[in-house]
Amino acid sequence: MTSTLHRETLENAAFRAGYGALLVFMLLPLLVVVVTSFSASGRVAFPPDSFSFVWYVDFFDSTQWLDAFTNSIVIGVGTALLATLLGVLGAFGQELETDSVVGSVVAPVVLIPLLIPPVILGITLLLYFNEVGLRGSYASIILAHTLWATPLVYFVMRSVFSRFDWQQLDAAHDLGAGPVRSFVHVVLPNVKHGIFVGALLAFIISLQEFVMALFLSTPGTETIPVLAWTEIRQALDPMVSVVSTFLILISVGAIIVAAIATNLEWVSKQLS
Amino acid sequence: MSETTSLPQIPTSLASLRESFAGQSSSTRALLLMAPLIAFELLVFVIPFLILLRISFAEPSSDLIYEPGSWSVEAYAAVIDNILALELLWSVISYSFLLGVVVTIVTVVLALFYAYAIWRSTGLVKTLLLFSVVLPLLTTLVIRTYAFRPLLSPTGTFNELLLSVGLLSEPIQFVPNTVGAVIGQVYIVLPYAILAIYSVLATMDWHVVEAARDLGASRPRSVAEVVVPQAMPGIIVAAVISFAWSVGAYAAPGLLSENITFALHVEELLLTDLRYPTAAALSVIMLVLMLAAISIMFAVLNRFGGDFDLA
Repeated sequence: MTSTLHRETLENAAFRAGYGALLVFMLLPLLVVVVTSFSASGRVAFPPDSFSFVWYVDFFDSTQWLDAFTNSIVIGVGTALLATLLGVLGAFGQELETDSVVGSVVAPVVLIPLLIPPVILGITLLLYFNEVGLRGSYASIILAHTLWATPLVYFVMRSVFSRFDWQQLDAAHDLGAGPVRSFVHVVLPNVKHGIFVGALLAFIISLQEFVMALFLSTPGTETIPVLAWTEIRQALDPMVSVVSTFLILISVGAIIVAAIATNLEWVSKQLS
Repeated sequence: MSETTSLPQIPTSLASLRESFAGQSSSTRALLLMAPLIAFELLVFVIPFLILLRISFAEPSSDLIYEPGSWSVEAYAAVIDNILALELLWSVISYSFLLGVVVTIVTVVLALFYAYAIWRSTGLVKTLLLFSVVLPLLTTLVIRTYAFRPLLSPTGTFNELLLSVGLLSEPIQFVPNTVGAVIGQVYIVLPYAILAIYSVLATMDWHVVEAARDLGASRPRSVAEVVVPQAMPGIIVAAVISFAWSVGAYAAPGLLSENITFALHVEELLLTDLRYPTAAALSVIMLVLMLAAISIMFAVLNRFGGDFDLA
């Protein structure tokens, strides 16, 4: 009995040390980003030799970063809306008719873009959007990002719907509710958190995707990652860290606001 | 709904839309619900891809990027010759796959462990662990990769720490090196892998594991025989995502390694050399290889109790 207890203590200690180390690994690069943004010199070193706000002052003199930020948000929101609409409807349709031939073709086709290196997708879409005259528009990048975000929404929704008790829907039908009404009153309340998570995933995918955006963007539609990549290649200065710090702060703020707006109770249940 | 539809009429037209929707049989309804998705995939994925396939069969041209309307297998022949002669393309492709395999194995093991830790923890610890997964996701991939440079370079934080402690006598060059590329790429895919596995674990009943423990299974054994099989759908998603994104890696090897991956090479072929048919043919060959590897992965993982069906 004592040896079992002893082993359990050891196991617990090893387990804690393991995820503690991973926690550091997950957060350290972000800490580097935030700390180096306060660097006084033009060299990106961690920890910096001395601290100052000089790069923050530079940031507020720059309109190109603010423009890039607007572009990122517009494209991210567009992607989240489109991908959620397509993914939720598609997954629900498939769930209604599990044996359909079309359904069994749709699932792999939706998944494949996620498995194709973004360089190839970027080039492929660049040629295509040139042909159809969408080059340089927000729409071109939104469509490209939706190609990546839809599978995530779709598979999140498939797994959410698969856990939903479909007898509830049958019960609603038996009680006289039509398909739309039963969806809104019976299915939706059970899956709305899944939809929210899906939309958030889509937004995140778009916000950080940069290879496709690199090929498809023009000076007017450059997103933050594209501008950051170009800047890093030109000069290694802490300006990019400043931008990232703002991005982290705003994203954290957005997640909190979204969480409060959606369902405070659910979030607290999830987080506690 | 015509253009003249005025506001008060919308509820009635919505109602009629609803009625007509309700009138459909369930299979027609399913098809209608899937229609936007199908149209989107057709217009933004299938058709553009057919154009790429077409270009891979075009004849290279000296003054244009390719000869319009021409048919040729020249590009494929050149690519396959180069691979079989174990020249540049062979090293590019084998390096990309090696990176993909190593990153996938490391990522899945770490993700399973971390997802399990999140699942089992409570209160503030759980919040902190979840937060540490979501926060990197909110940072652009370029920045996350870039942050490893001051950390891992020969004069960087990590090396100086090891040197001052006395574990090293001279700095190790993590970057630019394959080690750096692997670390950077694992960091990129790890949050997705953790969330994929955690989302499955979160729906699992802890009592099943408890029952296994009560019946005498040790903690490692209860994880291996109860948790892993149940989490397999999540593990498969995590593995496939890690593999596909790492074989096609661009940012991490671009910033943290000097080796050329397939993605970096194809970009050069297209944007610098303007050899469209060659780049298209190489892309097609690479895709076939990748999809073959992923199918094998599905088959193998499914045998371990995944029972994961795409459709």
